[in-house]
Amino acid sequence: MTDPVPSAHAHAPFAPAAARATVTAAALAARHDLVVCNECDAVHERITLARGTVARCRRCNALLGRGHVIGTEKLLAFAIASLLLIIIGNSAPIVTLDFQGVVSQATLPQAIEATWNAGQPFVAVLTAATALVFPLVFTILRLYLLGSLVRGIVPRGFVPAMHMLAFVTRWGMAEVFMLGTLVAVVRCASLTSATPGIGLFAYGAVTLLITAITAAGTHNLWKRSSEIGGNA
Amino acid sequence: MSEASSLQTGAQLRLYGCPTCGRVSQLLHPIADSTPLPCPRCATPLHHRRPRSLQRTWAYLIAATILYIPANLLPIMSTSNVFQGETLHTILGGIEELRTGGDWLLALIVFIASIAVPMLKIGALLVLVITAQRRSRWKQVERAQLYRMIDAVGHWSMLDVFVVVLLVGTIRFGPLGGVMPEPGLLAFGAVVVLTMLAAGSFDPRLIWPEEEAPQRHP
Repeated sequence: MTDPVPSAHAHAPFAPAAARATVTAAALAARHDLVVCNECDAVHERITLARGTVARCRRCNALLGRGHVIGTEKLLAFAIASLLLIIIGNSAPIVTLDFQGVVSQATLPQAIEATWNAGQPFVAVLTAATALVFPLVFTILRLYLLGSLVRGIVPRGFVPAMHMLAFVTRWGMAEVFMLGTLVAVVRCASLTSATPGIGLFAYGAVTLLITAITAAGTHNLWKRSSEIGGNA
Repeated sequence: MSEASSLQTGAQLRLYGCPTCGRVSQLLHPIADSTPLPCPRCATPLHHRRPRSLQRTWAYLIAATILYIPANLLPIMSTSNVFQGETLHTILGGIEELRTGGDWLLALIVFIASIAVPMLKIGALLVLVITAQRRSRWKQVERAQLYRMIDAVGHWSMLDVFVVVLLVGTIRFGPLGGVMPEPGLLAFGAVVVLTMLAAGSFDPRLIWPEEEAPQRHP
C-alpha cells in the first residue's frame, strides 16, 4: 500500500539469508498484492500512493500507508543531525537559574543523577530510558540501517535491529520531555530568574527530527532490504 | 455499512498481516491452532487475534487503576527553603500553583497531560475491553477511533515526571532552596507505564468480531 511494489520484487530469488525458512514458513506464501489492516483484519488490494497521500482502512479508518514525501537519503541526513543534537542536548544545560547571585544549572544527565541520589531510582531510570536512551538508540539504529541500505547493503542483524527500532519508537518520549523542559523553565521562573539553555533548544530540534523520521515509517526499510537481500 | 458485504477479513481468507513488517502471508493449507506461525520475513508471531489480549489488558488496567489513587493523593515533590521549611506538592496542587501564578495555558497543559489523559485512558480502556469481551457491534468505527486516540496520547502523561526530575536537578541552592522527588511520583510514573502497556496489549481487531469462529476452509 505504502509504496509501489515492483513486479520483480515478488519474484526475487531466495538469498541464503532467508534459508531459515521452516515448514511453516514455506506454508506462508507472500501476497505482495494485498494489505491486511493491523487494526481490524480487513483485506485490501495494494495500490500505489502518490506523494503526500495516505491510505486508510475502508472498515475502521486506520492508517494503512503513506506516499512518502521525504526520501531515504534525506532521512539519513535527519538522523545524522539528530545524533549531533542529542549529544549537544545532553551536554548543555537545559535551564540556568540565578538566585541572588548563586547560579545553578543542570543538564539532563545531571537531573537524572540528582533524582537517583534523592532516593527515586525507578523514576531516574524511567526518565533516563524514555527521554535519553530510547531517542538515542532510535537515532543510532536509523543511522545504522539507513547508512547500509542506501549503499545497497543489508546490515548485519537487520531483523533484530528493526524489532528494537519498533520498541524504542514506541517508548521514546523526546517530544514529551521537550514540553516538560518548557513547563520546568516557567515554574523556575516563578521562583527566581531562569534562562533557557542550549540543551532546551537542542532537544526542541531533536523532537522535530525524530517526529519527521518516525512519520516516514519503517515500510521503506523493509522494502529496501527485500529488494537488496531478496528475502521473503 | 453498505460496503461491509464486499469486505473480507484475513481470518476468512487465511491471510496474516505482519504487525511489525507489514508482509501479508497466506496460509496455504490448514494447520492446528496451536502451531506457531512466525512471519517468514521478520519472525514476529502471526495471529488473527493476539492470544490472551484481554487478560493482559485487564491485568495492566487494574494495576494502573489501583496505583492511580496514590499517584494523586501522595505528594510528587517537596520544596524546601530556610524561610518556609518543607512544602509538599501533589499533582493537583502543582496545577493550582500554576493557575494562581497566572500561567493559565501551562496549567491547562499540565491538567490535560496529568489528570485528563490518564483518567480518559483508564475509562476508554475499560469501555474497549468490556465491549470487546461481549463481542459487541456497538459503534465499532468510533471505538476503533477511541483506541487509536488513547494509544497516541498515552505517553504525554509522562510530562509531570520529567518536570519534577528537571526541578530536582536544577533547583539546588542548599539551605536557600531545594526540590526533592516524593513517592507519589513513583506511583504516577508507574501508572503511565501500566496504561501504555494496557493499550499496547489490547488487540484492536477484537473490536471487530468474526461472524462465527474464523473459517478454516474459505
